[in-house]
Amino acid sequence: MSEAAFHALAEPHRRRILRMLRDEPRSVNEIAGQFDISQQAVSQHLKVLNNAGLVAVSRQGQRRLYVVRPEGLGVLRDFLAEFWPARLERLKLAVEQDRSAEEDHDG
Amino acid sequence: MTAEPVTASIHIDAPPERVYEYFTRPEALVRWMGEYAVLEPEPGGQFTVDILGTPVRGRYLELDPPHGLLIAWGYAGAGRLPPGASIVEVRLTADGTGTRVDLEHRDLPPAQQPGHTAGWTHYLARLAGAAAETTEAAAPDPGMPQVQRLTHTVGNA
Repeated sequence: MSEAAFHALAEPHRRRILRMLRDEPRSVNEIAGQFDISQQAVSQHLKVLNNAGLVAVSRQGQRRLYVVRPEGLGVLRDFLAEFWPARLERLKLAVEQDRSAEEDHDG
Repeated sequence: MTAEPVTASIHIDAPPERVYEYFTRPEALVRWMGEYAVLEPEPGGQFTVDILGTPVRGRYLELDPPHGLLIAWGYAGAGRLPPGASIVEVRLTADGTGTRVDLEHRDLPPAQQPGHTAGWTHYLARLAGAAAETTEAAAPDPGMPQVQRLTHTVGNA
């Protein structure tokens, strides 16, 4: 998953928007109707999601509907390519912390 | 046809015997991966760990303590990578007083399959949210209501 996608998903409103769009394509108005924030703010969030490649606009007649862009979620491989190095860092921390704690205990 | 394997390596200041336990003992595994684990470290034994609501499901395929292990790795409810569909190989090599860990995750599907996005949207959003909150000790997962919901359209279809 790209840096931009990760950043886009780090915001709770944007995660909620993505979940809504996952169920069905929606217009800005429909999305804004589900939130307490302004339509302008929703548009801004959609722009971030769009720039990150997570959503796309689909035109149906006069309507502009936002849809989830599956390939924008990054291939699974991209996700794991970030996941494993981060996990091994935590493994190192855990093992070395546990070890020093034990050594303190032993005196 | 599969995607290129994902590889990652790290040096840990502890002997392989000790590092190995962090792949086989649930209380040690959850120190670095997930909040909940059920592990049966024997060939064919289950490898179950929930990582921030992401249900990793698989099996131990081979165990060679303390040199390494082979784990079949997948995700419950994820059409793209179902339980046990890919392989995680861990090699532990003594390196001075420490251990070099080499991990390879292979047999990954080549690309996103349209129609199988729902589970991943949920998982990735959760993981991204957790990463944004804090790098250490993320909050425990309250449950997986979203994943439950995913199945409703299937049942009604």
